[in-house]
Amino acid sequence: MYKTEVRGPLILGDKNYRQISDDVIAPINNPIPGWWKFSFFVALMMSLFGIMALYQTVAVGLGTWGVNNSVGWGWEIINFVWWIGIGHAGTAFSIFLLILRQKWRTSINRAAEAMTVVAVACAAIFPAIHMGRVWLAFFIFPYPNTRGPLWVNFNSPLFWDFIAISAYLLISASFWYFGMVPDFATIRDKATSKVKKAVYGFFAFGWTGSSREWLRYEALSYVLGGIAAVLVVSVHSIVSTDFAVSVIPGWHTTVFPPYFVVGAIFSGFAMVMTLMIIIRKMYKFQEYVTDSHLQAIAKILIFISLIMGTAYATEIFIAWYSGSQYEMFTFFKNRITGDYSFQFWAMVVCNAFIPQLFWFKKVRQNLTMAFIISIFINIGMWYERFNILITSLSKDYLPSSWTTYTPTWVEIGIYVGTLGFFTVGVLLFFKYIPMIAISEVKSVLKVTTLNPNDKKHTSHE
Amino acid sequence: MNKTRIVGVFDEENSLLAAVNEVKKEGIEINEIYTPYPMHEVIEAMGKKTRFTTAAFLYGFFGASGVLAFLYYTSVIDWPINYGGKPTNAFPSFIVVTIILTILTVTIASLFTFSARAAIFPGKVYDQPDERSTDDKFVIVFDKPGVDGNVEKLNAILKEKGALEVYEKELNLKK
Repeated sequence: MYKTEVRGPLILGDKNYRQISDDVIAPINNPIPGWWKFSFFVALMMSLFGIMALYQTVAVGLGTWGVNNSVGWGWEIINFVWWIGIGHAGTAFSIFLLILRQKWRTSINRAAEAMTVVAVACAAIFPAIHMGRVWLAFFIFPYPNTRGPLWVNFNSPLFWDFIAISAYLLISASFWYFGMVPDFATIRDKATSKVKKAVYGFFAFGWTGSSREWLRYEALSYVLGGIAAVLVVSVHSIVSTDFAVSVIPGWHTTVFPPYFVVGAIFSGFAMVMTLMIIIRKMYKFQEYVTDSHLQAIAKILIFISLIMGTAYATEIFIAWYSGSQYEMFTFFKNRITGDYSFQFWAMVVCNAFIPQLFWFKKVRQNLTMAFIISIFINIGMWYERFNILITSLSKDYLPSSWTTYTPTWVEIGIYVGTLGFFTVGVLLFFKYIPMIAISEVKSVLKVTTLNPNDKKHTSHE
Repeated sequence: MNKTRIVGVFDEENSLLAAVNEVKKEGIEINEIYTPYPMHEVIEAMGKKTRFTTAAFLYGFFGASGVLAFLYYTSVIDWPINYGGKPTNAFPSFIVVTIILTILTVTIASLFTFSARAAIFPGKVYDQPDERSTDDKFVIVFDKPGVDGNVEKLNAILKEKGALEVYEKELNLKK
């Protein structure tokens, strides 16, 4: 239960319902700000670079990449896992907090879900192009085909991964969309221009806000929330089995599924924090995304960071305790020390140590610090995937097949491109979609107010 | 159905709820209530229940059985492949695909159920009693023919409980 007396009202500034609609819709009606145009231009250039790199990959082939026989998975898989991890927060955020009835999610869930959809779409590019002949990517669908009744291998984690990611993308997109339907109706009914009324009216699907609609709407959101919570946990567990079921030192470990799921939620929450600080600053949403919201995220980050530290320690302990010389070599000679020790220590410092600064109230309250730490976490999570992939692949059982790996400009270009796609997607979201769930914020407005006269009705939660 | 309706517009949820209770005490039938956000009291007062969760469970049950049957058919009957002597009916490794596809089935089927039962779909032609109900007003609608002799009384109750406006309008609603 949310104790307003202890934690303060969720929405500041003594708003009424009309002000909430007006404030949230304002960015859609206002002219596009200069910083938006500039960022959009930069992101578009990055996307073009990405498209060029993708063209090179498709036209020439995988030879344009730095991957080789020993290091068969390079930046593409690192970036794939990184993006999928970031894409975990949105759904994790809305769904776990919906099930746990955390009212403070209402100001943040929309942006987190938008980020999820864009990040997962970016992630999906990587396994597709990694197939080499991307135009034959549909071979992975289990369909009755003319190649004899040849089915895909249902026992392969790579196939599970394909199913999990497609399902996750579809489900998070629909969860996000149906959450927006009542808000589109609000925009439709408040719009003065005919075009806006028609466009948002189309997307509002004829929503009127009747009790008949709300009853099913609530039922739908709980059903989707309940089952998608399972999905959030399973998707990254499955990504981890891509590694864990193979007999490679440093990968073949049972801690991988929880370690990956927690890591994913960690990087996702960090990205939510980055994004909310930007939204709050650029669109002046301080009264909706309050200091207390950001502090709540910071506290979750401390907790997850401790789990990450424990996971790293567990891995190292088990490498020693297993008595396997290959595990010992990977962890002690090729991660903690050795050619890739920088990447290992960057991971440990960024993920396990730097977020601990959030224990200090001064750091939690300082948004610049919080912003920098959230960026560090995402850099740390990138290094974590680098560390897992490259150290294990570059030096495995046979010293004769040891090799090094350096990305080419094509691989870097694809990564830069996805950063561009992500930024373009998020900027379009800022401009055309209500960034805060209007109807959900309205539902918590009076329940968390300090004014006792308003408190009579109970929240729908 | 196209009928003349009596529309009451409230500024505040507590006055709406007071009006709803009073009207129900008088035995006047409410057609529909429109609110900017979901309110449990309103849904309860309308006496509406949903079997959505039962439907979702059934989708899940049939989804899971269907997926398992499909996996069994493809891997055991249609094209059994020997993976290093492992059994073709590799049940434990079918579970992952079954879980994910069950969730997908439930989601898609639930979305269509929602669309059908709440009548929310692209291109819907609809009548909205008051446009402000998606913004900040709480709107209650009665059928004029249904209230008949009680129109005066109804207007008085709505006004007394703090309705901003009470007016009559031709509306094509579900009931």
